[in-house]
Amino acid sequence: MSKLRGAAAIVGIGQTPYYKRGASPHPELKLALQAIVGACEDAGIDPADVDGFISYASERNDAQKLMSALGTKEVRFASLAWIHGGGIPGALSIAAMAVATGQAKAVVVYRAMAESSTQRLRVMVAQGDTAAQYLVNGLESPAQILALRSQRMIEKHGVPRDTLKAMAQATYHHARTNPRAYGRNTVLDDETYDNARLISEPYNLFDCSRENDGACAVLVVSAEHARDLAKKPAYILSAPMGTLNGGGALEENIRPYSFAGQVGVATRMWAESGYGPKDVDVAQIYQNMTGMGVGSLIDHGFCTPENAGEFIRFDNLIVSGGTLPVNTSGGDLAEGFIHGMGLVAEAVRQIRGDSVNQVMGAKLSLMTGGPGDTMSSTGLLGSEETL
Amino acid sequence: MDYKFEQVKIVGGIGADDEFWRGLERGEFCLPTCASCNTWMWPAHFRCGSCGAWEMRWNVVEPKGKIFTWTRSWYAFDRVSERAEDVPYVSAVVEIPHAGGARVMGMFDGTMDGLNEDPRIGTDVVGHILPPSEKTKGYPSIVWRPVASGLRA
Ligand SMILES: [Zn+2]
Repeated sequence: MSKLRGAAAIVGIGQTPYYKRGASPHPELKLALQAIVGACEDAGIDPADVDGFISYASERNDAQKLMSALGTKEVRFASLAWIHGGGIPGALSIAAMAVATGQAKAVVVYRAMAESSTQRLRVMVAQGDTAAQYLVNGLESPAQILALRSQRMIEKHGVPRDTLKAMAQATYHHARTNPRAYGRNTVLDDETYDNARLISEPYNLFDCSRENDGACAVLVVSAEHARDLAKKPAYILSAPMGTLNGGGALEENIRPYSFAGQVGVATRMWAESGYGPKDVDVAQIYQNMTGMGVGSLIDHGFCTPENAGEFIRFDNLIVSGGTLPVNTSGGDLAEGFIHGMGLVAEAVRQIRGDSVNQVMGAKLSLMTGGPGDTMSSTGLLGSEETL
Repeated sequence: MDYKFEQVKIVGGIGADDEFWRGLERGEFCLPTCASCNTWMWPAHFRCGSCGAWEMRWNVVEPKGKIFTWTRSWYAFDRVSERAEDVPYVSAVVEIPHAGGARVMGMFDGTMDGLNEDPRIGTDVVGHILPPSEKTKGYPSIVWRPVASGLRA
């Protein structure tokens, strides 16, 4: 087992509202400050005492720009996980390492996005690292590139197309009761889903994540420190990042191809945490696209391509009666999308017991990183009794 | 020879595939192997991960393969808006069995003589090389057509 197992915990959550893309009343840097200060207030820690800053992907609001506004006494650690949305749980792992080794005492993991401050979200998410092979052939968006993966998952591996619909419907269902959720007014019945306009086959509009302005931050401290604070800690049991041989930035030459590219990190996470798929109480599944969420569930061993149609059903994915409630806040599709960071906050709320769609007695809370990314990560949070 | 794509170079990939695009501009479909151990290396890279050699050899390959996967785009996405008038269009990833299973992208065109074949995984296709155009961002490109349609023509 890993030395990091339970060595650190998330003790604070801060979130701005989800704004319509391009409509944030504040620039990105201010949103980042609001989320970070919010996480500190939630934890009962003075923002000036935050000494570690970690984000992922193309985050531009670095410690250097934040520190004077926070009154930071000293920046002792700052880092960026080198991935896109795949990097989120991995960023938690870096934070855990920083506090467990004493490099820092209070580390924020955060992401802030506002279109007016930078570029279109989908351009920014791509970070200018799209190869000519794609752009020459009419492919630029994650929606299109991931559509290639899901098309093969359905057509070659026989995973039913309806699993994508089940993921979308469960997610939108949970958003209905979340006042923060951007998509809470959408009733995603069969007719609405089936008649939605196509984006890139096999995906339609409801298979795609939203684009929002906003910011979200969580505060990570050592397990010892966490026990002295106000909120119930969500311990980081394991949050490995990486990819197996055959993965990486390979212009659709990754092997294996379909699903989420998370077999390696999922296997390590189960081994490091000592738990398995059957033990998980609730899961926040990053869904850039529904089909990739299906791939994550398969890669994590919740089901196989053969029985995915039986497991990934609406009834089985919702809080009332499902064996694996997913995306209980509405997730990337229906709550809002700040590059997936909102999923971490919800994974923590489930451990605390104060989600708007609470899974009763939830002790093990999973958050998977961006599926189909060139590299990815996944994370398991637990309450004190899971240590 | 002056290659047109070199004036509009897209940065973002690994960046070791200039010979692939030069080949297409000459009308040749070229894929690389390691000059030392002969392993197919695609996408092209700067060092062979199998044997550690630094040299690649570019081989002219017959542009034939099987559809590995595909998608039909129904939206004019921002960075490929040159293709807006073609929406919906099909992009394909084609596996080249005689090049170590390298997967090469291209457009898929199933229309021929009034017939229109849908893309399907496993369909045998032949690549036709097109010169640089605005739609391909100044790069040469490949359009993959079903072998059966090719025979009909
Ligand atoms: Zn070699």
